[in-house]
Amino acid sequence: MSGTLGIIVDITLNSLVLGGVFLIVAIGLNIIYGLSRIMNMAHGALYAVGAYIGFSLVASGLNFFAALLIAPLIVGVIGLIIERTIIAPMRKRSMAYTLILTYGLMFFLDGSIKYIWGNKPRFIELPEFMQGTLPILGTDYPVFRLVTLLLIILIMGALMLFLNKTKIGIILRASSTIPEMVSCLGVNMSYVHMGAFVLGCVMAGLAGIIAGPLTTIDPLMGGEMLISSFVVIVIGGLGSLRGAVIAALLVGGVQTLAEFFITDLAMVIVYILMAVILAFMPRGLLGEGKFE
Amino acid sequence: MEKRHKILEIENMQTYYGDSHVIQGLSMHVYEQEAVSIIGRNGAGKTTTLRSIMGLTPPRSGNIFIDGRQTTRWQPHKISRLGVAYVPAERHIFPGLSVEENLRLAARPGSGEDAWTFEKVCEHFPVLADRSHQDGATLSGGQQQTLAIGRALISNPRIIIMDEPSQGLSPILVQTITDVVLKFCVQSGITLLIVEQNYQMALKVASRHYLMDTRGEIVNNMTTRQLEDNPEIIQAHLSV
Ligand SMILES: Nc1ncnc2c1ncn2[C@@H]1O[C@H](COP(=O)(O)OP(=O)(O)OP(=O)(O)O)[C@@H](O)[C@H]1O
Ligand SMILES: [Mg+2]
Repeated sequence: MSGTLGIIVDITLNSLVLGGVFLIVAIGLNIIYGLSRIMNMAHGALYAVGAYIGFSLVASGLNFFAALLIAPLIVGVIGLIIERTIIAPMRKRSMAYTLILTYGLMFFLDGSIKYIWGNKPRFIELPEFMQGTLPILGTDYPVFRLVTLLLIILIMGALMLFLNKTKIGIILRASSTIPEMVSCLGVNMSYVHMGAFVLGCVMAGLAGIIAGPLTTIDPLMGGEMLISSFVVIVIGGLGSLRGAVIAALLVGGVQTLAEFFITDLAMVIVYILMAVILAFMPRGLLGEGKFE
Repeated sequence: MEKRHKILEIENMQTYYGDSHVIQGLSMHVYEQEAVSIIGRNGAGKTTTLRSIMGLTPPRSGNIFIDGRQTTRWQPHKISRLGVAYVPAERHIFPGLSVEENLRLAARPGSGEDAWTFEKVCEHFPVLADRSHQDGATLSGGQQQTLAIGRALISNPRIIIMDEPSQGLSPILVQTITDVVLKFCVQSGITLLIVEQNYQMALKVASRHYLMDTRGEIVNNMTTRQLEDNPEIIQAHLSV
């Protein structure tokens, strides 16, 4: 039995893990929105696909960390196919077209998941060393959650390095502000949109396999995550990466706390939080489109 | 007289914004290494002309030739890769990117010893070198204009298309920018097409001038000498 300190540590770490998963999903959504003004309704489904592919890879005997690399890449390839076939041709049309298209895609992916993996919940089997617990400040905290937290930090660090230090990253940041000028510098914007979509899908897939061990993998996970990540990007400001960081931690924290004290109403509390923030800041905490 | 190469040629260009017919049959040309200005009052269609050349607002009909190639329907990135650099009136410095990143994004290798590199930009524009790590959006108007021109130069272009570089700058800064354009664009052999409402600047940097009336109609095409001898013509076309 944990003492008060243990409970605080538990809640804090759980908040960070949950917020971290929200963050990776929401950042993927925001990269796509910030660069292409596409609200990818299939993002949650892609997250679920990442989790299921991760499950299958591990179940077929692949090392968890190898699966962690391969599953997101497969989701990225799926994203590439989606982008080239149905998103790119709609680029010049209004946002409503891609909204409806990706909404349809969500049903297609959800249906495919049920067709391939069925309705029953799945679990990713973790490597032995991740199965135990570690005593930290009066609580026994699951090792796999600590590893998840570490992975989230690594992924975010890698993303920041990519956006800030590589030429492609700089092109993406510039394109989120004045795309027209980027094209005048010789950059084919069609590839920028493609790259953004694929990167967003890779992030969704990554989040999926990372979250796999935290939750049960079932056909509902995508829809739930889509809603949570919408809440995060709306609170943080559409397209804003920094806003997403703050909002994801906030939502992760509030949801964890709420689940601890009043279980059933956790999501309701999160929506109330969103409503209150939007009432005072209609464009979210950091405003729209701050891609940094 | 030797036959000169027309690096830019526009024939009977018609450009629309939606249903609004903004350029109604514009024809003009720029010779290689020539500096040409377009002078005209507000709303004449000067910016639209540049946007059409750049592929940002492609014309509905007519022809644009850049270095002999029919580029009328080309996308901006392909036109840029022909060696055309655009300095828009808004400057369009990328916010959130440092001065250095703004420059490196545009850099393209040039040929020859004196090709523009990041180091060369820093050497000739100490204002930019001193602020290379600063967010481009925090620069003053004059510094942003310098950066916009530096960003054009670092792509080692053959043609620079410049929209009202003097806009919003103090007379001293206009002088500075005029000197920069003269020294690094005109005198170093880059073809220049510049739009200016500040006709004194236009007369200083360009040697030939198109006077544009509303809807992109070119009413006159004169050398600097001819314009200086007939200042009333400018007045007639610039007074609102
Ligand atoms: N995006 C747009 N949509 C519709 N009409 C536009 C648009 N941009 C410009 N126009 C109109 O097209 C005409 C030409 O505009 P343009 O900007 O080319 O003029 P300009 O000569 O550059 O003027 P200025 O000296 O004010 O910069 C104007 O009547 C303007 O109102
Ligand atoms: Mg203009």
